Amino acid sequence: MKKLLALVLALVLSLGAVSFAAADEPFEITVMLPQFPTTNDFDPNNNPVLDKIEELSGVRLKITWAPNSEYETLFNSMLADKNPPMVVVAQDARAATVLTSARKGAFWDLTDFIADAENYPYLAQGNAGIYNNISIDGRVYGIFRTRDFPRGGAYYRVDIAKEMGFDKEVTTIDDLTELAEKLNAYSPDTYALNMCEYVEGTVMYITILFGAPNTWGIDADGNVFPAHQSPAYLEGLNWLRNLYQNKGIDPNFITAPSGSWNDAERNDKAFMRFDCLDNTHRQQEWFEQNKGTTDIIWKAIGPVAKADGTITQWAQNPGFSGEVLINKKTSSRNGVSEEDLPKVVKFLDWCNGPEGQLLLNGGLENLTYKVDADGFRSNEGLEEANDKYVANLNQLNMGVAGDLAKPGVKRTALRLRYYDLLAELTPYAVSNPCYPFDSQTYVNYGKQLQTLLNDAAANYIAGNIDEAGLRAMWDQWSEEGGARMTQEYNDAYHAAQQ
Amino acid sequence: MGMSAKAAERRALHGTGRRYWKKLGSEIKRDKWLYLLLLPGLIYFLVFKYLPMFGIVIAFEDYVPVAGVLGSDWVGFKWFESFFSFPSWTRYLTNTLILSLMNIVFYFPAPIILALLLNEMRSLRYKKVLQTMLYVPHFISIVIVVSVTFVMFGSSGLIYKLTENLLGYSINYMGSPVTFRWMIIGQTIWKETGWGTIIFLAALTNVDTQLYEAAMVDGANRLHRLWHITLPAIRSTIVLMLILRMGSVLDTGYDHLILMSNPLNRQVSQTLDVFVYQQGIQGGQFSYASAIGLMKSIVSVTMVLSTNKIAHLMGEQGLY
Repeated sequence: MKKLLALVLALVLSLGAVSFAAADEPFEITVMLPQFPTTNDFDPNNNPVLDKIEELSGVRLKITWAPNSEYETLFNSMLADKNPPMVVVAQDARAATVLTSARKGAFWDLTDFIADAENYPYLAQGNAGIYNNISIDGRVYGIFRTRDFPRGGAYYRVDIAKEMGFDKEVTTIDDLTELAEKLNAYSPDTYALNMCEYVEGTVMYITILFGAPNTWGIDADGNVFPAHQSPAYLEGLNWLRNLYQNKGIDPNFITAPSGSWNDAERNDKAFMRFDCLDNTHRQQEWFEQNKGTTDIIWKAIGPVAKADGTITQWAQNPGFSGEVLINKKTSSRNGVSEEDLPKVVKFLDWCNGPEGQLLLNGGLENLTYKVDADGFRSNEGLEEANDKYVANLNQLNMGVAGDLAKPGVKRTALRLRYYDLLAELTPYAVSNPCYPFDSQTYVNYGKQLQTLLNDAAANYIAGNIDEAGLRAMWDQWSEEGGARMTQEYNDAYHAAQQ
Repeated sequence: MGMSAKAAERRALHGTGRRYWKKLGSEIKRDKWLYLLLLPGLIYFLVFKYLPMFGIVIAFEDYVPVAGVLGSDWVGFKWFESFFSFPSWTRYLTNTLILSLMNIVFYFPAPIILALLLNEMRSLRYKKVLQTMLYVPHFISIVIVVSVTFVMFGSSGLIYKLTENLLGYSINYMGSPVTFRWMIIGQTIWKETGWGTIIFLAALTNVDTQLYEAAMVDGANRLHRLWHITLPAIRSTIVLMLILRMGSVLDTGYDHLILMSNPLNRQVSQTLDVFVYQQGIQGGQFSYASAIGLMKSIVSVTMVLSTNKIAHLMGEQGLY
């Protein structure tokens, strides 16, 4: 009996030894990232890029892809999950669920880590203003994901415009109107402006061009008011409504899914779009790769002046888009324990360094990108391998210390123009002044209220309602909580001014 | 007095105290196989229906998933108050009731009529084939039904073009508050009518064929037989189904409506279920959504109990 016991004990001990040996295995980090349509081929097992990340950082990434269109919903159910991923991307750093969950201790407080330049050199280089923007009650819970500022803008088919006799730079709203008319005259089967069910961006671009504020404005007395109360907002909507009446916009844009927004441009059905400027070179590159286009046919529009000569441009983002959060382990759910936390933060720091950025954005040389004679990387011809090994790993790219990856992305003439344009537009960029503030009504009804404004704009553009109808929907917005939300933002704004 | 008489009756029937339990034990022992048969169903209801009910406490809390049910703050009736102080709650309720009412008026009789038609079928083979074909739509996902609808009724669809050419003007089937409800009801009828006949066809098999023969001898034609024999025979089933339907008078489902909704019809497509989805799943406000869900359940129970009572008063058997 004793012998048997000894045997069992020896067995248990040796098993213990095996599991100790396993401690040398890479540290596994589970991550939830937004997935865009191209990532369906991602290979999580035989993936040289993930292997390389493991080799350099000692971390094995295990990724859960969450479809971008459903991301918010999946993020919310993740919060209620007993086994959430250790690291998660929040696409909206000010989302109500992020705020309440952070306050209840769902995420690790990273304030002290980002101040520790010795151990986390890259994280510490992040812009203090942006860290402040995403802070909750003065504490920083996430690492923001840097985005080009101001990024919002317009682009069009320059070849079609030339063919129709428009051969100049767009510098005023009148130029833009003329361009739209010329593009519209091309054929009765095509449209000047590409629009889809997601009207918010298009409306923002044009209304801000006319001088409306971005979502919220501050009036002469220093009070907060909603953008649609600015007369310029209606001018912008009228511009779109006129274009629609002249058959310059697809009559069915309201039911066109946002996932196939590119289609009309790629099928030569529409020639202009108000969206993100970087889409200009994306469309150009797509045409080059899929249609054998050799000329530059897509062109971005620079600063556009109003009749009085002043310029206001839409800032599509506040310099970043969402943040990367670390789930905290509590008694009721899994997550990152206090002892593992430095390892995870260290990994995030590594992701912000040159090695991490190159792997997350580009992958491996000769597998997913090639380096050209000038020392720039490009994934031309390697799209398939890219979808398989890198895909949307760049969703984890934060770049708080800037783009440090070497070699850098190949800068075509269009890409270079893009960066020039960003610099050119920055002084005129209009941001949302209430971005850092909280509103309880926004938490409870913000989604519905924004939908109501978007619906009002869409219906007005499509001629389903007249100005009275539009104003009635705006009144409904005020009644259903818009007025209260304005008051709450106003209070928060005044409190912050003092 | 009535109470004690009832209690006495019960005592006589089941015994009291230990005797009651002893009797129950011996009964279980006797019919152990039957009780074993009952067990899976019992466990199912306990695990999936009764246990989750404890979750309704979050309707009275400001529930944050991380803090858990026990760790979240208690807020009492806050969510109920915020719903009724939300200016457009009446719109959500009206949309729900209109859709439900249309459903009861137009969809509810459809399976009954179809079942009666099938019942009159002479060729048994043809009837079987037809039934199978009628069940198929039930198994088609609502996503596909909506996609097909878009293809047929969208601006380049067959029906859109057909009515446009026939009428001389186009009807925006997919993007109009007027057509929205009819499209929803139409889709429901197309998808569920066949499946809905099952219960009525089962009831119809219980009709005594001798009654038909006797009626025929008395000179009753098909319509007379339908009216005086078939319908009364399945009346209790119809009443039962109607009572159950009244219980879900506030249920419209959200997936179907969300798939069909767009800026043009949003004002009529927002129902209570859509509100719960928006608040709970999209907005992550689990407490608010639970509060509305709880409210709906209370209304449902009230509706079932009161329609059942009405059925009793009208001399029907009802639910129990």
